[in-house]
Amino acid sequence: MQISVLVALTLLVLTAVGFLVGRRRALSAADGQPASLHSLPDYYGYYIALWTGAPALFLLAIYGIFGAALVNTLAFGQLERDAAPLIRGYEAALSQDADHQILSGRLDRLNDQIAGLRAELQGGTHSGDVEADVRRLSALTAERNQVQAGLAERRSEVASGIEARTPDTPAGRRALAGFEHWRATPERRELFIADARALAFDEGLASRDTPALRAAAAALQPVERLFQWSAAGAALALAVAGLAFARSRVSRRFRARDRVEGAISAVLLLASIIAILTTVGIVFSLLFESIRFFAAIDWRIHEFLFGTQWSPQIAIRADQVGQSGAFGAVPLFAGTALITLIAMAVAVPVGLFAAIYLSEYAGPGFRAWAKPALEILAGVPTVVYGFFALLTVGPALRDFALFLGYEDAVTQSALSAGLVMGVMIIPFVSSLSDDVINAVPQSLRDGAYAMGATKSETVRQVVLPAALPGIVGAVLLAVSRAVGETMIVVMAAGQGANLTANPLESVTTITVQIVMLLTGDQEFDSAKTLSAFALGLVLFVMTLMLNIIALRVVQRFRERYD
Amino acid sequence: MTEARTIRDAVEARLARRHRAERRFQLYGLGAIVLAVAFLVLLIGSILYQSVPAFTAHEVTLEVELDPALVDPRGDGSEASLRRGSYNTVIQNALQAQFPDVDERSELRELFGLYSAVNAARLLNTVVDQPELVGARYAFSFPISDDADLYLKGRTVDERRAAGDGMLTIIPSEADVTLRADSPAFQPFADAIRAEAAAWADAAEARAAASWRSAQETIDADTREVLEAEAERAGALAERLRSRLAPDQALVLDAQAPSFLVEADGGVFRVRQISADRTSALAETVIAPAGTGAAERWTAWVLETPAAARLITDRQLVWVRALADRGLIENRFNTRLFTNADSREPELAGVMGALTGSILTVLVTMLLAVPIGVGAAIYLEEFAPKNRLTQIIEVNINNLAAVPSIVFGLLGLAVFINAFGLPRSAPLVGGMVLALMTLPTVIISSRAALKAVPPSIREAALGVGASKTQAVFHHVLPLAAPGILTGSIIGLAQALGETAPLLMIGMVAFIADPPSLGFSGFTEPATVMPVQIFIWSSSAERAFEARTAAAILVLLGLMILFNAVAIYLRRRFERRW
Amino acid sequence: MDLTAPDGAATLYHPTPAGLDPKVATREVSVTYGGKLALDRVTLNVPDRSVTACIGPSGCGKSTFLRCINRMNDTIDNAKVTGSIRIDDEEVNDRSVDPVVLRARVGMVFQKPNPFPKSIYDNIAYGPRIHGLASSREELDAIVETSLKKAGLWNEVADRLAQPGTSLSGGQQQRLVIARAIAVNPEVILMDEPCSALDPIATARIEELIDELRENYALVIVTHSMAQAARVSQMTAFFHLGALVEYGPTEEIFTNPLDQRTQDYITGRFG
Repeated sequence: MQISVLVALTLLVLTAVGFLVGRRRALSAADGQPASLHSLPDYYGYYIALWTGAPALFLLAIYGIFGAALVNTLAFGQLERDAAPLIRGYEAALSQDADHQILSGRLDRLNDQIAGLRAELQGGTHSGDVEADVRRLSALTAERNQVQAGLAERRSEVASGIEARTPDTPAGRRALAGFEHWRATPERRELFIADARALAFDEGLASRDTPALRAAAAALQPVERLFQWSAAGAALALAVAGLAFARSRVSRRFRARDRVEGAISAVLLLASIIAILTTVGIVFSLLFESIRFFAAIDWRIHEFLFGTQWSPQIAIRADQVGQSGAFGAVPLFAGTALITLIAMAVAVPVGLFAAIYLSEYAGPGFRAWAKPALEILAGVPTVVYGFFALLTVGPALRDFALFLGYEDAVTQSALSAGLVMGVMIIPFVSSLSDDVINAVPQSLRDGAYAMGATKSETVRQVVLPAALPGIVGAVLLAVSRAVGETMIVVMAAGQGANLTANPLESVTTITVQIVMLLTGDQEFDSAKTLSAFALGLVLFVMTLMLNIIALRVVQRFRERYD
Repeated sequence: MTEARTIRDAVEARLARRHRAERRFQLYGLGAIVLAVAFLVLLIGSILYQSVPAFTAHEVTLEVELDPALVDPRGDGSEASLRRGSYNTVIQNALQAQFPDVDERSELRELFGLYSAVNAARLLNTVVDQPELVGARYAFSFPISDDADLYLKGRTVDERRAAGDGMLTIIPSEADVTLRADSPAFQPFADAIRAEAAAWADAAEARAAASWRSAQETIDADTREVLEAEAERAGALAERLRSRLAPDQALVLDAQAPSFLVEADGGVFRVRQISADRTSALAETVIAPAGTGAAERWTAWVLETPAAARLITDRQLVWVRALADRGLIENRFNTRLFTNADSREPELAGVMGALTGSILTVLVTMLLAVPIGVGAAIYLEEFAPKNRLTQIIEVNINNLAAVPSIVFGLLGLAVFINAFGLPRSAPLVGGMVLALMTLPTVIISSRAALKAVPPSIREAALGVGASKTQAVFHHVLPLAAPGILTGSIIGLAQALGETAPLLMIGMVAFIADPPSLGFSGFTEPATVMPVQIFIWSSSAERAFEARTAAAILVLLGLMILFNAVAIYLRRRFERRW
Repeated sequence: MDLTAPDGAATLYHPTPAGLDPKVATREVSVTYGGKLALDRVTLNVPDRSVTACIGPSGCGKSTFLRCINRMNDTIDNAKVTGSIRIDDEEVNDRSVDPVVLRARVGMVFQKPNPFPKSIYDNIAYGPRIHGLASSREELDAIVETSLKKAGLWNEVADRLAQPGTSLSGGQQQRLVIARAIAVNPEVILMDEPCSALDPIATARIEELIDELRENYALVIVTHSMAQAARVSQMTAFFHLGALVEYGPTEEIFTNPLDQRTQDYITGRFG
């Protein structure tokens, strides 16, 4: 840490020096006539400073990102080589261990049985008692888990035997560290490395402190130090080389300003490319994780898209048994559609009428306070709407439904979530429609008024038809917004994956399930967790299509009246 | 002329109808706005109303005896020794001194449930700071438990008191007492309780029926089992409630029935059973009377909310009332709400931690989104050649602006956390995700601001021989700065209120200490205001409801501040060409 | 048709030829936009079955005057109109007069052709529909056909009545909106620079049309082109800085202007 701070400071100083050198050099090249230079002297300074600082800092950044991983790989590679005798001894001991032999034999047989039974169940030609088979399957899986646990226990017994025989010398401890690292599962290995690093470099607190960890830490330190020093040296060398190179190029005719400005616009271009990188990042991360999810459910994409049973939790508990029907996302799509429909039923008429009133009827005084009021509605965080739906609207709707004699009313219902989401979207619809209505040329209104049309006739028969494409675009954008809205539905719509059209029941949506799947305890590689990304992909594609269509429609509309 | 006449008649014949339609249409428009504003008022109003209890808290002040044997176990007065003291016992002793006849273990547990043991840590710190307090008496204030607090605010328990008829004789027997009146004085209370019990029984039966019905409709076996069990429980409860409805039997009071307390002779008794003739009652002593024997005047104290429907027990309620009567409980402004971080105990929970987290997160967002966004806007508006690449970037930015925020959360989880290995729950990652989300807003508003600068300014600069870059940075950018700033602040305000993407990257952690405001704070686990609101709103404790509303007000206040700054900047520097 | 100039507003009136009955009579009409005076006490008589041209430099108030006659100024938030305007002895500015009824009697054609984004047929049928002038589809068809014929557009569009009005050329669009205006059989037609957006050939067609319409309607036309005023109008009013400077038969105004400003304007010294 200290070395890198030192290097960074040195680099800054060098950059400043580069600036001064550049100015001085330019002035001396000008022979006392600064006006004869192509650019202002400062630009020569910037030019050299750029060559001094940028490549070196870039190198340091690369080191910062990949350095630790490289050090770990090298250090632990060496440790594992030191542990080679232990590893050989361990494998030999395992192959001679009778218990281990028996257990692995049983595991193989169980795996075969399970695979056979599952193939039979999935084949569709199964004739016997399906339920009995499913029960047998879960019994078998339970047994397999037991056997696996037994195996793991036996292995660690053997391993601790080996460890106990290792002499307590520096070399022995190093071998132990390598051995532990080699034997650990990926997650344990991460933890082991993190602990070792913590001990070696005071990066946070180690969760344990064992001789093996100490040995690993000791192995890490020299490698790390070597890399740190060489990175620092390389960075400084690069800075000096850059300075020298840039200095050599400075002359009276040299176009320093063009170079500096080129660098500035390259940085600006980079900034705008980040927007593209974000999209690429979204697409690739969603695609990549979704592909892993589809692989985990045996590529039954059609079942994901058209299945009507959604219960990812069951799949976890019974270890794959329930998986065949558990990831049918139709109830989520239906729930999303239901809530979006309710929200639109609120937001479109209210938002549209509000926009019409504001742009065609309201006086300036009324507009001056009504517009900000609508904007406040737009600025309220969605979590606040969620709270409002959960504690005010939900109970009120339930009580009202109970009063009307509907006995199954619940607090978390599609109606309360949809209603509140509609309120949230009102300002969105109204401001977009307002823009669109204002874009309709005044001459069309004048034409209608001059025919003797009343204001409402003008609006309904001339302005709205003319603005229709724009309004359709606005509504599509609002739909995309409703589909992607998360907090209101998470808090107010409930979690039951009901396939229902009844707005008084609780439903679940794509976004709710993403949140449910990714909060709380999770193991990252399970199909359950990965399914969230598949849902995210569906959500992204859906909203993207809506947006593209909407933006295009609105753009066409604008072009027509511009 | 005649033709004109008939046309005019035709027009006028329809006129009234057309004007009615006109008025109707106008009314719809006005109605829409009124509706939207009414929603806003309702939203703010309901949150204000719900937040009221959170801004005050009832605090108990007790004289605690800082017994050296307890607080200074080693007896040397050193800090190490003081830190090992049993401060909770000190508080317990002080509380027990208020109610000397509470001695049973279970009753003591109830008594000590009136506050959270976490408060002892504050007493410890006080003593460590002022070691001279050891051996002295010290007036220690601490917040009473949230359930007691809500009871004192009258939010959770319906109660009523009525003077009793005639004399009441108090006859102690083994553990309990028998209260005997000289007339069927308990009759009205017994009737009231029976009526309530009947209503509860009806409700329980309805619940049972509903559960059965949904159980029948459910396909999923597990859910069906749960529903059936629920129905059975509700049915059994209804049966039990009905069983004591017979008018001429002894009335047994349990947790499902309203509680019936009797105050007489300075003592408080909790009635368990009213005799069949309604002249006597079997009760247990909660607070012992001054003497035994007879009381001329007595008060019936009925808690209409049954014990099963509230979190404060009868005894706790009586004790709290007694402490309040003794002047030991005070309702004060709740500073803890603003100075504490989150806590499992609602009375100790505050927004400070989330506020710090929000500040750190938005700081990261600002440092990333504003320079990158403004840079991209300058490039696209001033430098970009009109080619395919820039066209793609444009379309892409517009689409990115409408991508649901949760998708950015997924991106952050997959890329920043899983691929780059950055720490979960950290403001750094949260800020990065929000920066990506805010970027399109910043770019779009900055471009609008740049576009509003008239081309004549650029031409003037280029005309005197400035390079393109100089023209932009020396002339256009300063003129566009207010607009850019306003747009950026509005984007940051959006980021401040965003929740969903932060849930994805694990910022839902329970954070009992506010993150440090230094460099390390950026990588420590933290939470932010909107997420804190989400966490509290899903907590079971009723007291968190009010605190959620209060936290919402704090968040809204912050956002109003942001927007006010934006409006001020716009007004101050706005220039029109 | 005697007129006198109101005190302070120095309008010069030429004697009106016989045989022209007044259709629209304005007395001291003033208009302010948000306190700014745009029209200053204009008094004149528009004769029936003839064309009255309003000329004058930009911003002289001639369009404002035109918009007073069918109360189009009502649609502008801060416009205030005072004075009296009578059509056939009926006060236009009276509160009891419904602008809707008024505008059915006074048609208007604008500078830029503004067909509604509907079919040609629906454009023409719009007025009769909202005012309920046709009781059956056949009647409506007849009105549409007559109006298009009167506007000289029938032959060009008879076979494509269902196409959008915006698909026509500029000159055709302008004739379409004229047809739209005459479909409700108004008594007065106001035209606000109807040819300024058109090419010379289309302009000639419109001018021909205006001449034909004179048979049945009182027309008031605002124009920038003095040649056009001279070609189509019988009466001419010259406006300058919101005031009516001179009013009289077109021939008189162009050959024998009384005011120096009128003379300067028609001889092209300013404009």
